[in-house]
Amino acid sequence: MTQGLYFMVYRETEARGPAQPHAIMAATLEKLKDRVICVITNDGRNIVGVLKGFDQTTNIILQECHERVFSTTAGVEQVPLGLYIVRGDNIAVVGEMDEEADAALDLSSLKGDHLKPVIH
Amino acid sequence: MLPLSLLKTAQGHPMLVELKNGDTYNGRLVSCDTWMNITLRDVICTSRDGDRFWKIPECYVRGNSIKYLRVPEEVIDMVNEEDLERERTYNTLSSPFVSHLLPREARHWQVCPGLSKSGRVGGWTRRP
Repeated sequence: MTQGLYFMVYRETEARGPAQPHAIMAATLEKLKDRVICVITNDGRNIVGVLKGFDQTTNIILQECHERVFSTTAGVEQVPLGLYIVRGDNIAVVGEMDEEADAALDLSSLKGDHLKPVIH
Repeated sequence: MLPLSLLKTAQGHPMLVELKNGDTYNGRLVSCDTWMNITLRDVICTSRDGDRFWKIPECYVRGNSIKYLRVPEEVIDMVNEEDLERERTYNTLSSPFVSHLLPREARHWQVCPGLSKSGRVGGWTRRP
């Protein structure tokens, strides 16, 4: 009986468009709206920007974003990117950025290894 | 703001699309759909390594092959208030947790933006 109900709900959501997983996840991103966030993508890129919007599949709108490129030899390089829509499939991690702690960092002297891409 | 509404607003604007395979497509957005499938016009495609280029008058990109889209900054200011109001209603009433509580007929009703201002709860109306 319950299984039938879930099947009905699934059918309705499918007709509406892309799959709609967890509303719980969306509630977490709602808290970060209009805050500066740090996104790690599946290819190991680190992108910092203001979260302007998101949806159930974690597609994200980032405003005034820039990519932080880490290297073991030179300091951190910040590449300005502008307005981005990042597809949810490519997002590994989203985290809130502590702006005070970030301002205290001296990025030009920070060295580190780059992240490896996600392997499935 | 929903990413797909931003994309819809960006129709007609030039943009950069990077695919999962690393190729970049620079062109003007013609149209998009709910699965992020897009059609672009006057496209310059650059291979992953940046060594090969193609000029394509029109192309279709499947949504699930997109990594990200870079959109001009002015587009975000163009998403107007009415679309945001419509989104707010859509987000609450379309969730599967809520929608199965609505009467059976309601499932194919769509949000009518004009009615939400008249004070009707949720702004839902029957569409043929």
